[in-house]
Amino acid sequence: MVIEQYTIATTPRYNFPNPTIPSMLPQRFMEQSIISLKQVQNRPFQLNQQIIQQNNDSETQIQGFRLNPKQITLSPEREKTTIAACDTSTIKIGETSTGTLVAIRGANVWRQNKSYRYLRIGPFIFHITTENKAEVYHALERSCFGTSNHENRQNINIWQMPMRIASLLERWLQTMLTSMINNGLILFDGSLTAGTGEVPTRTMKEILAKASENNNVILAFSKMTNLRINGHVITDVPFDLKPPCLIETIGLRPKPPITLLGDVFVAKLTHEDYAFRLDISKDLSLEQKIEAVEKLLGNDVISQSYPETLRLAHILCTFTANEVLAMQHFTVRKYGLKLVNRPDMHKLLFGPFGRGEVCS
Amino acid sequence: MKLYRKEGNILQILSFPHEAVEKGDYLLIEDQEAGKALVAQVIDVQFASIPGVLEELLRSLPDGGEIIQGEDFDPLEIAPHITYIQDASLLVCKIRATVENENLSPSSSWLPSRSQSTIKKLPIPTLLKLAKVDGKLPIVLGGTKDSSLLTIDAIHLDGRLNIITGKKETGKSHLSKLLMVNLVGYKATVVVFDLNGEYLSLGMTGDGKRNAYYDKIHVLTPSQNFKLALKQLNLHVMLGILIHALHLPGTSAREFRRIWQFLKEKNMLTLHDLGETIRSWNCNQHVRDALSSRYHALVNSGFFTDNLVEATLLEDCMSKAKEQGGAIVINLRNTGAIDRQIVVEYVLGKLVELLTGWKLKAAFLFAEEAHLYLRETYWDDIVTRMRHFGIFTTFITNQPDTIRENIYRQADNIFLFNFTNEHDLDVVSRAARVDGETVKSIARDLPPHYCLTLGKVVKDFPLVVKVKALDVRTMGETRLFFQD
Repeated sequence: MVIEQYTIATTPRYNFPNPTIPSMLPQRFMEQSIISLKQVQNRPFQLNQQIIQQNNDSETQIQGFRLNPKQITLSPEREKTTIAACDTSTIKIGETSTGTLVAIRGANVWRQNKSYRYLRIGPFIFHITTENKAEVYHALERSCFGTSNHENRQNINIWQMPMRIASLLERWLQTMLTSMINNGLILFDGSLTAGTGEVPTRTMKEILAKASENNNVILAFSKMTNLRINGHVITDVPFDLKPPCLIETIGLRPKPPITLLGDVFVAKLTHEDYAFRLDISKDLSLEQKIEAVEKLLGNDVISQSYPETLRLAHILCTFTANEVLAMQHFTVRKYGLKLVNRPDMHKLLFGPFGRGEVCS
Repeated sequence: MKLYRKEGNILQILSFPHEAVEKGDYLLIEDQEAGKALVAQVIDVQFASIPGVLEELLRSLPDGGEIIQGEDFDPLEIAPHITYIQDASLLVCKIRATVENENLSPSSSWLPSRSQSTIKKLPIPTLLKLAKVDGKLPIVLGGTKDSSLLTIDAIHLDGRLNIITGKKETGKSHLSKLLMVNLVGYKATVVVFDLNGEYLSLGMTGDGKRNAYYDKIHVLTPSQNFKLALKQLNLHVMLGILIHALHLPGTSAREFRRIWQFLKEKNMLTLHDLGETIRSWNCNQHVRDALSSRYHALVNSGFFTDNLVEATLLEDCMSKAKEQGGAIVINLRNTGAIDRQIVVEYVLGKLVELLTGWKLKAAFLFAEEAHLYLRETYWDDIVTRMRHFGIFTTFITNQPDTIRENIYRQADNIFLFNFTNEHDLDVVSRAARVDGETVKSIARDLPPHYCLTLGKVVKDFPLVVKVKALDVRTMGETRLFFQD
């Protein structure tokens, strides 16, 4: 099967290179998607009773550190710099008698000539069962990074699979950005914590190395954090900050195999009452890190302390209810799945006291 | 299509983009198990309330209101499915009837199965066949949306009160001409009050040649080829003119009666003698003045003459029309307001006289902008009393509020062209044979020359028709300044 190759237009001004998108992974994603869906042809298909929009936001708790009381004041640096961001999203679209149907999508966004452009990949729909989960993951991991960690994949629970596959796609999108951009800022959703099932240390190190090789700086924004000082989340710690500014964390020592590949800051970039955990590649000096954030301030729209490029990446990959309906329609039409409406046991047993709220 | 909701006689049906359904279309909702089907008409097409659509729209415009540029790599081709869901529409339909064993009944008291019912478009010819909209005296009104012809039966105009209304330049007069020539074709007697001289050339084709109706169209222009001698008039017709058109008070009218009888006995019913008698009549000076002023109004109208050769016998035209069918077009184009009322009083009075004496079986009266010449009391007369004499009126107006509400309530057929004004639609929707929602929803979107036909001619199944072209010479066009 031949996949059309998309080209991102380049502009000399921003030096946003890119010949072509490596098509191996999307191709493998599509193949795995089709293979898995063929297994469910003409089977009954239960619509999801609770649509849970999931996002890859995992973070490991780390303790025994403090914040540098001296805030780093920032001033926007207007030097033209390419800003790019990526994010992925996954959603469960239904259940079959043997597994679950999930959809995965990723988006890269970059700011060019003061306007944004995007590349959105997916949705890919997978039918994941206990039997095929290892095979699907193995195939995708090999396509993505050339190797597969057998030990890791054997332990994956079927319910973790959507997040894991989305994570693979996200790493691949990140790799793509780090390879294609020179002298730019690349924004990740989440932290630079590695060594978890979802984010292998080796993979993340390779991504950072590639970024460094092309003179890019990785800035990873976490919407949520569990890092606490005296019981308070670091982004809530009350201190009198004059934005835009950063606060440095000191003494973060994660337990192996968890590795921190970036230095952690609290970033308050606008006057609104929001602050985020910001991880910046460790291999940069403090001055380089500050300069990177200042370039971000000077080249992107920052609202609620959050960069617009990253916000758009999130918005573009998130699934709407309309898309969930469309994907259900697709699976029914294309693969002959028969919709069944089994009663929700919680609602059936507990009536109005049964859970049933949509989580997001 | 899927049945979604039913509230009263309103159905909501979910429709997908490939099912091209428009306002005015008919749907058949068939429940095989129940052995019945509902006939419903689409009165509105809305966007279906699809969850997530707002997010979808917002997502496409985050870049300061401009569409964000980018590429979508969608290998499974889900995007068409998203569009398909997004473009789903909700059809708001009005239940018109139930079909059971090929018989139509106006019932909507049963509920078809939501999951098992099949919904399909009901072609207009099938509907017309089911509703038995055909007949012995067909009049082809024009084409329906599915390219079939809408043919009504002239019998359903017989004895009926009809209204043709719509805003300017939508084709009202064209339809009235179409109805008129078809009625004439079936040997009916038609009387037209032609306010703008639009019907004068009905007997000519577009290129100026005589058509099949040439000999059946009799154009009477007051004070030109339409003049009266007093001897041709009955006293009550003359009193009608004096009291209703010229507002003669009761006392003076009594005195006039005496004068008329006096002159009649002496065989001196001429304009000249009438004037002389009024001048010398022994009566109150105020009465004399009142009579004298009305006399001069009659003389100045130019409608009356003492020359019997000049006088036209309306009765003769009527009897010609009675035998062969024909239209008597009363050309009111250059006639002043008072004179117009005099002529209309005379024609209506004469018509009643001919009909009561069974000299005429019945007549179809076409009245354009009737509020400009019809006195207040005639409205009720026309819809109640005159109907029994055999005058069957078709009102044509672009100001629906000039026709009284009771006329709408009693109208048997309404031919409704486009209206955008809410007030106009409110007025029309008071008609008893139609529901307001249908009128307001469909009439608002009608293009020029498309007409929503309501009432007995379509067996109460509102139908949109594009009125067919008529090869007659167009008259009554607006005179323009910027035109050579």
